[in-house]
Amino acid sequence: MFLFNLTENETSNFNTLKNKEILITGGSGFIGIWLTHLLLYLNDKKDFNIKLYLIARHTAIALDRIIVNRNDVVFIQSDIRNIREFPKEISYIIHAATSPDNRIYMSNPIEAMDIIAAGTKNVLENALHLEKLEKVINLSSGQIYGAMNSHNIKEDDFGKLNSNSITAIYPEAKRYAETLTNAYRSLHKLPTIQVRPFSFIGPFMELNKPWAVNNFIRDALKFKSIRILGNGKPIKSYMYPTDMALWILTILVQGKVGSAYNLGSDVGISLEEVALKIKDIIGSSVNIDILNMNDNCSEFVPNIDQGKRDFGLNIRMDIDETLKKSIDWFGKNSL
Amino acid sequence: MTNKINLYDVTLRDGSHAISHQLDEMQIDEYTKGIEKTGIYAIEVGHGNGLGASSVLVGQSKISDELLIKTAKNNLHSTKLGIHVIPGFATINKDIKNALYWGVDIVRVASHCTEADTTERHLGYVREKGKEAYGLLMMSHMTTPEILLDEAIKMQTYGAEAIVILDSAGSYLPDDVKERISLLSQNLNIPIGFHAHNNLGLAISNSLVAIESGAQIIDGAVKGFGAGAGNAQLEVLVALLEKMDYQTNIDLYKMLDVADMVESRLLKEPISISSLSIVSAIAGVFSGFSKHVKRVSKEFGVDPRDIFMELGRQKIVAGQEDTIIDIAIKLQKRI
Repeated sequence: MFLFNLTENETSNFNTLKNKEILITGGSGFIGIWLTHLLLYLNDKKDFNIKLYLIARHTAIALDRIIVNRNDVVFIQSDIRNIREFPKEISYIIHAATSPDNRIYMSNPIEAMDIIAAGTKNVLENALHLEKLEKVINLSSGQIYGAMNSHNIKEDDFGKLNSNSITAIYPEAKRYAETLTNAYRSLHKLPTIQVRPFSFIGPFMELNKPWAVNNFIRDALKFKSIRILGNGKPIKSYMYPTDMALWILTILVQGKVGSAYNLGSDVGISLEEVALKIKDIIGSSVNIDILNMNDNCSEFVPNIDQGKRDFGLNIRMDIDETLKKSIDWFGKNSL
Repeated sequence: MTNKINLYDVTLRDGSHAISHQLDEMQIDEYTKGIEKTGIYAIEVGHGNGLGASSVLVGQSKISDELLIKTAKNNLHSTKLGIHVIPGFATINKDIKNALYWGVDIVRVASHCTEADTTERHLGYVREKGKEAYGLLMMSHMTTPEILLDEAIKMQTYGAEAIVILDSAGSYLPDDVKERISLLSQNLNIPIGFHAHNNLGLAISNSLVAIESGAQIIDGAVKGFGAGAGNAQLEVLVALLEKMDYQTNIDLYKMLDVADMVESRLLKEPISISSLSIVSAIAGVFSGFSKHVKRVSKEFGVDPRDIFMELGRQKIVAGQEDTIIDIAIKLQKRI
């Protein structure tokens, strides 16, 4: 079963990828799996004849299921810091080899920072030797904006980031990776682009990740109860992964070298509203308990006008459909 | 900011230290029947060092964790049941899994103030099971406010839904409390709690300072029934907060009834500030060491105050009780 269904017109946006070789680092992660689904759809349904290389330290069951016995996918099991040479014919690289799970950055901060710093450097060094290279996407993070409190975060905004706090480990490492990527672009004319992901919810995500909406869905499905310790007012936005994958691939093809693009939904929603929508979808038997123990009213929503304007992209899946599809998938696959 | 304060009753856990963990089934049954009527948010039961801690090293409980938890749970309907967990004493498979099965609602995972990374798996497990998970930083006076914040951020990242700092030695001055609680409440998105000991007669006033600095969870024990000089006296806190127009949702008269019951049925002698408790606060040593220090000092014929001062110099923490004998031997030989 395919997770994508593109019209001929939509498919034609990706025509330059036909008969090309693409490398995705972090290929077994959430983003890697979704991009693999999209690229294999283009091969199987649209005859794109793409050769896909995936690099990751470990494979994942969800990935194994779709790449087993395929000649158009090569899985390379390796730490991204240790790869010595990329296959020579690669034209596109999507560097997605880090986890945004903050628990890793708390328990093993030095190793985690090194994976981002040394891993990115190794990708860029190897990319220098690829004669057919057309684009490199460095998947950065929305967290590089730091402590922004805004529902309209633009690519040229600069947030506060306290590098003297352990909370800066992940975003600061990501900022370093962006700067390093730009250094390679400046010195070696490497065709690099930054993409800054915000928040997503959907299939192939793990419900035990320490993010509020994941936990809401898990608790609603398992225990018929959603607990909000604060006031439920913080606002974020959530993009469905089919949109995420289409945006990344579009930016890979059409993105301007040297640019940075936000990736996420621009429709903000409060935690309380998310909880109410989950309750509506699962059923009235779900209790929502707002304990009101803090006054956090933060907003963290990207402005994505650049992607919309330059590439005609849009958000196909609204929050209702996003939650409905996610809950349906998690109910069948995650509990 | 809301003026709601959640009082958390540690009488049947911290008080366990005061009677060498000899709480029996009848005492727990009677206490929990009474406390349920007060409307308090949550109470904690267990060995003084928490789940799975009963041992020759730190003292053996009179009854098993299972009987203790089941007896309490049988009487608690609106009041939640909590347990104290120190990774190492308690394991997920042997202890926490069963405790949740027996009906525990809140698991407070504690570590020494600089060792938060030992709590990741335990906090994650509790969240995964849909129960309330708190992170506790013990002996919090032994590090700087800045490091305390780092450790609290780690616990928040691991899934803690509240952070409680423990003045385990009862050595804080009001300004120490203000500095730490303010820093934590300004930098974390989850409620902050404070657990006082009364070694310097400041448990109640330090708890009030904590509230004024942003704490929303305050630990207390009826009649101050806790380790060493005891904790903040719960019924006094209830009366005081009522007088100050804070919401606790606790019926004061019912709480006073419980206090009278505790006085006649649980306390062998009133909790007071002994000379050794004062010395332990000055030395910055865990109050729960008093009984061990008294016993060992008698056996080796040395001044217990000297033992405490040396424990403080060596920065000995709970779980290192065997050091008390080493110190006594050295003092005896005047090494």
